[in-house]
Amino acid sequence: MASDESLPTLKILMIGPSGAGKSALLIRYCDDQFDSESSTATIGVDFKMKKLSVHGKAYRLNLLDTAGQERFRTLSNSYYRGAHGVILVYDISNRESFQAMERWFEEAESNAMPGAIMYLVGSKLDKTNNRMVQTEEGQRLAELHGCGFCEVSSKTRENVRKPFVEIVDSIVRDPKLLSASSRRTGTVNVGTGGGEGWGPRCSC
Amino acid sequence: MESLSDTKWDVLISGTGLQNSLLALALSRSNKKILHVDENEYYGGAEAAFSLQEVDEWVEKVSGDDPSNPFRNASLWKADAEALNGTPGLSFSRAYTLTLSPQIIYSKSKLLAQLVSSKVYRQLEFQAVGNWWMYDEDTNEFEPLRKLPTSREDVSQDKSLDNRAKRSLMKFLKFVIDYENQAETWESHADAGLEEFLSSQFKLSVNLRSAIAALTLSFEDPHDISVKWALPRIARHLTSIGVFGPGFGAVVPKWGGGAEISQVACRAGAVGGGVYVLGAGIKQSGMVTEDGKQLSQVHLSNGETVKTRRLVGGASHHELTNPKVVSKLISVVSSPLTSLFESSIEGSPLAAVSVVVITSFGTVEHKGQPYPIYIMVHSSETGECPANQCVLYATTMHTKYSKSALEEAVSHLLKSIEKGEGKLLYSLYYEQEQQASTDPTILPNASLDLAFNDEMLQAVENQWKSIVADDTGVGDAIFMQFEDREGMDNDDDDGDEGV
Repeated sequence: MASDESLPTLKILMIGPSGAGKSALLIRYCDDQFDSESSTATIGVDFKMKKLSVHGKAYRLNLLDTAGQERFRTLSNSYYRGAHGVILVYDISNRESFQAMERWFEEAESNAMPGAIMYLVGSKLDKTNNRMVQTEEGQRLAELHGCGFCEVSSKTRENVRKPFVEIVDSIVRDPKLLSASSRRTGTVNVGTGGGEGWGPRCSC
Repeated sequence: MESLSDTKWDVLISGTGLQNSLLALALSRSNKKILHVDENEYYGGAEAAFSLQEVDEWVEKVSGDDPSNPFRNASLWKADAEALNGTPGLSFSRAYTLTLSPQIIYSKSKLLAQLVSSKVYRQLEFQAVGNWWMYDEDTNEFEPLRKLPTSREDVSQDKSLDNRAKRSLMKFLKFVIDYENQAETWESHADAGLEEFLSSQFKLSVNLRSAIAALTLSFEDPHDISVKWALPRIARHLTSIGVFGPGFGAVVPKWGGGAEISQVACRAGAVGGGVYVLGAGIKQSGMVTEDGKQLSQVHLSNGETVKTRRLVGGASHHELTNPKVVSKLISVVSSPLTSLFESSIEGSPLAAVSVVVITSFGTVEHKGQPYPIYIMVHSSETGECPANQCVLYATTMHTKYSKSALEEAVSHLLKSIEKGEGKLLYSLYYEQEQQASTDPTILPNASLDLAFNDEMLQAVENQWKSIVADDTGVGDAIFMQFEDREGMDNDDDDGDEGV
């Protein structure tokens, strides 16, 4: 198997209002865990790495969570840098969270790099008894923004892979998007530095 | 949604400028309950970076007369389409990230080491500060722009230097990188002017003296730079070259320098559980006693009142009797100015920033501006402007003449490169004043310096220590040293059924 480091890395962000189920989806997809008790804001999740193969080709997904900065809408511009895809999550049992999506689309479209792929997810599909947003409404909003859509349940696992597989599929179909972030001729690696410096070498 | 006042905070940090954001990063694994607010709707404080539209809003605010605001007299100029005569003009607002803090970070700065050990460097992209140039019309009217020799190779290849000059220069360079061990050479001159010292002790020509003074990035007249202040800065410059690769000694983070570090540090604070609120400054604060403990009760400008054990950044600013004031001019130019970035050194990365030091230019009336002018030229690789444009960040000491001096210096420089093809598309002028704080842990100079000053890290470390020591003592914790957060490398290889 090729070493993971050499695989192309795709950066994908999760955004959406507090309590929409972004972290639950991320943790179910990456770790196959679900904690129905945990309703508090996410602490300690910076990003998750996951390998995913689409059409027989492997990619490393770098999945970023909002770290609670969505709560007061204080996500920074830097969060969006270099993102290939943005997954926008709302809660189908919460009308308000769906109504907020227009603003989240606006924020994503103005901050992400041009051509980044958006994907809309209605979460908590297990709560159909309390459904406040119809599937067709989500579908229509997604079409309006020309992006993919599905409903998922992190609790029952229903469709949890679908948003990730589909957004990666759209990203890798766009060679321009892939190359836009890999062009890094001028980047200085400060992590492995420790060269000699001008001084010591000049023992003239 | 629960309100901020339901929590008893351990630390309230006000302001997301670089120093406070680094403190939030340092505290991000401390398990303290941290509320981090900023009166502005954006991150970065005095180190913020803006789109063009955000600049418009900022200029509105800065033209007012608010003594607590270090910025003043901001004004904007945009080229009109007709005058451009077919040259493509400005792009859309968000194609630009203009930074209030185009500071360079020397490779030897502890900041880089701490961004690495705290693991946030993975969210940053660093780019090389390549060539250093000197622009001097007094010495050479027809070719005023020349590269500063900053490496041994440069010195030996420099055709403008005769062998004697080369020997003197090498002698000085060899001394300065080891100045700490050669006190006998300089200690008796510690308070003397650098100019005089270089001339009397090393017999350097006037050209070389001003080239060496330029490396200090001092705003002062070179005659007024003291030897004891200048030597560590020159040594820092020289010993930083080559640390991360050949041909350069400093870096800048892509997308607006200090602004980007602030944002990434704040995200680390949030990942650690810190709560972030923008558009909420401190209106008023006082002490209250609760359960026998002293707490700060703070009224925020968003209407909430919170209680916190520690308050950082709540102190008011006051004016210094003789504050240092600098004038800054940010210009967007319609050319990539490629020749400024080309490197003659094998294996060096493509530089994104070049430094131009202007010592003399133009006409007699600018002799009223005796101070050097520094121009940090940022290519589009910095992400701060679209391809085929450049951003010039010019800085000089504020005087009666400084605004017109900056404008004229930029225009002279543009005429001297690429046959003058670079046209001015946009410029933002403002002044920035050094401010003292009633809080001694806040550094007055931090955002004025053109190179990141490690003193800020010492200040952050002291703040961190005193906060962490509140309950348990610092213990085993090492400042800014963290393990990677669990990243979980799982495979999702089981087929392509989703596609």
